[in-house]
Amino acid sequence: MSSIWNNCLVKLENEIAPSEFSTWIRPLQALESDDHIKLLAPNRFVLDWVKEHHLNKLENAIDEFSNGNLTLTLEIGSKKSTTALPLQSNKSSEIKKSRPNFLNRAFTFDNFVEGKSNQLAKAASIQVSENIGKAYNPLLIYGASGLGKTHMMHAIGNAILQKNPSANVVYLHSEKFVQDMVKALQQNAINTFKEYYRGVDTLLIDDIQFFAGKERSQEEFFHTFNTLLEKKHQVVLTCDKYPKEIVGLEDRLKSRFGWGLPVAIEPPDLETRAAILMKKAALVNVELPQEVAFFIGKRIPSNVRDLEGALRRVIANSQFTGREITTEFVKEALHDLISLQDKLVSVENIQKTVAEYFKIRVADLSSKNRRQSITRPRQIAMTLARELTSHSFPEIGEAFGGRDHTTVINACKRIAELRDSDSKMEEDYLNLLRTLSH
Amino acid sequence: MVEQIPLAFEHRLRPSFNSFYPGKNQEAINHLIQCVSFEGEQQLFIWGSSGLGKTHLLQACCLLAEEQKKTAFYYEFIHPDLPDAGLLNGLEDYEVVCFDNIDAIAGHAEWEQQFFNFYNRHRDNGFRLILSSTCPPNWLTIELPDLKTRLNWGLTLKLQALTDEEIILALSFRAKQLGFDLSPQVGRFLFNRYARDTVTLWQLLTELDHATLAAKRKLTLPFLKQILGKHETP
Repeated sequence: MSSIWNNCLVKLENEIAPSEFSTWIRPLQALESDDHIKLLAPNRFVLDWVKEHHLNKLENAIDEFSNGNLTLTLEIGSKKSTTALPLQSNKSSEIKKSRPNFLNRAFTFDNFVEGKSNQLAKAASIQVSENIGKAYNPLLIYGASGLGKTHMMHAIGNAILQKNPSANVVYLHSEKFVQDMVKALQQNAINTFKEYYRGVDTLLIDDIQFFAGKERSQEEFFHTFNTLLEKKHQVVLTCDKYPKEIVGLEDRLKSRFGWGLPVAIEPPDLETRAAILMKKAALVNVELPQEVAFFIGKRIPSNVRDLEGALRRVIANSQFTGREITTEFVKEALHDLISLQDKLVSVENIQKTVAEYFKIRVADLSSKNRRQSITRPRQIAMTLARELTSHSFPEIGEAFGGRDHTTVINACKRIAELRDSDSKMEEDYLNLLRTLSH
Repeated sequence: MVEQIPLAFEHRLRPSFNSFYPGKNQEAINHLIQCVSFEGEQQLFIWGSSGLGKTHLLQACCLLAEEQKKTAFYYEFIHPDLPDAGLLNGLEDYEVVCFDNIDAIAGHAEWEQQFFNFYNRHRDNGFRLILSSTCPPNWLTIELPDLKTRLNWGLTLKLQALTDEEIILALSFRAKQLGFDLSPQVGRFLFNRYARDTVTLWQLLTELDHATLAAKRKLTLPFLKQILGKHETP
């Protein structure tokens, strides 16, 4: 930072309110020459605000500390972004060198916890990393947010690079693809953009649902996709739903995305959630007792990111207080999180949600009605209550019209069997689990 | 006697970690310092009711970043007006970014989407994001599931309110930061007779600072009563 600008900051900090100073003045980056100081703002919004509200103060401060020798200009930019923009180059070799692959090395197959909900996706991902462009192309992994799709994608990229460090693997979020394309159009460098993306060995694109409604980006991605597949280069995509369900995505893209292998990742079951917690804890050298892992897993049934957030809180609090991680300790550390979750997944809420889903009355669930159209939803609601709440079998039975605890146990067994044998039942159960967990 | 007119002292108190009375919030402070120093968590979410010091702490993060020669950006959302989401452009290049009252964006589709995009770009750069709100992230009514899970991902810390005794100690601590002495006796008088919330008390301290400076007097109980006599008790 230049010394003159440094002095200006000290002066301005005394003249401008702290929040204004932190937002509009401190983020400005100064480039100083003999007769000139250029202040860089991150974007048009900040630039306009500074010009409108603080220009006089800035000019006065610079005048004072430079004895009137420096003129001031304000521009959009940053010291970093002015040094290297990959798309400004025309040589593909230079682009390749300057372009990071954005892979997070922490995400590997080894530390991905496998369970019933994700084992197919993991097996397919390993296949792809071992047989690039041959096994499943494209590989499409879909499922709700926070279930490990991104982890899987990075793991594929890392496994490919481990075998062949010179492989040209690129991971990016779909929005980055759109952003790069817009930048390329602005800089009249669309050919460089095409050359770059169509030249990679493995392209990993996350969250393709965000292509919806962006026609020009879809068009460009369509051609990139075709080129890569023709060359037998690997494409891996993730999406929050099956692509055919995405509104605003061209039919030809939906169709192509289904060419290879679409695999779903479902929310992890309780055992997998507990295993994930124990594995994540072990990665930071913390031993998480199994009963504590099950306690957290039971209270946070939604997704892996929520589990990780809860675990971070527990570990941080334990390290600060020096207390051992026990179930009692976790109840205190996650008090706020758990109390909200309890509100969301009360037995009453489960009954209401299940009744709405099957279009029956809530009262039917507690009634003596034994028609299958009522008993099945009742059994599902009992099973969900067992999985998502900490109520005992007798308490759940009581909440369903004063039924015996053995009725609840039988309901849980029956639903587990049906989920294995009947895909419609599995789908209904998972839909309800998702609704109640978010 | 002619009153000495104080110079522009409104902003004498820099929002640093040193000028924050920690109370039971040392854990949160430690994490914030580590986060800014690129030693701890990549993402922090601090929450608690108004007046606990969230704004002060986030600005302290930016000040610390500046001292460590890092680029930092701070923005406070003020309900219910949201700025143009173009505010986020280019912020992914800032090593430390702090957003105060992030709950303001919940339910605003364009902002949620743009913030999600910014989040990914910023995280890909390996930089630090610090957010604050009056409620924890899982209570926010964020509609974009991808953003909601990401906000829950990092370390969430609740700021604890100061007890009555701690507020009195904090008054003396803050007065010292401003450059004058405030005895526990005076602090207790202010707390019992004037206001119990920290926002009002901190504002009053600034006025007392002015008054003692103008009159060149120490802040004794009789002098305090004289100053407060000029005010209407809120």
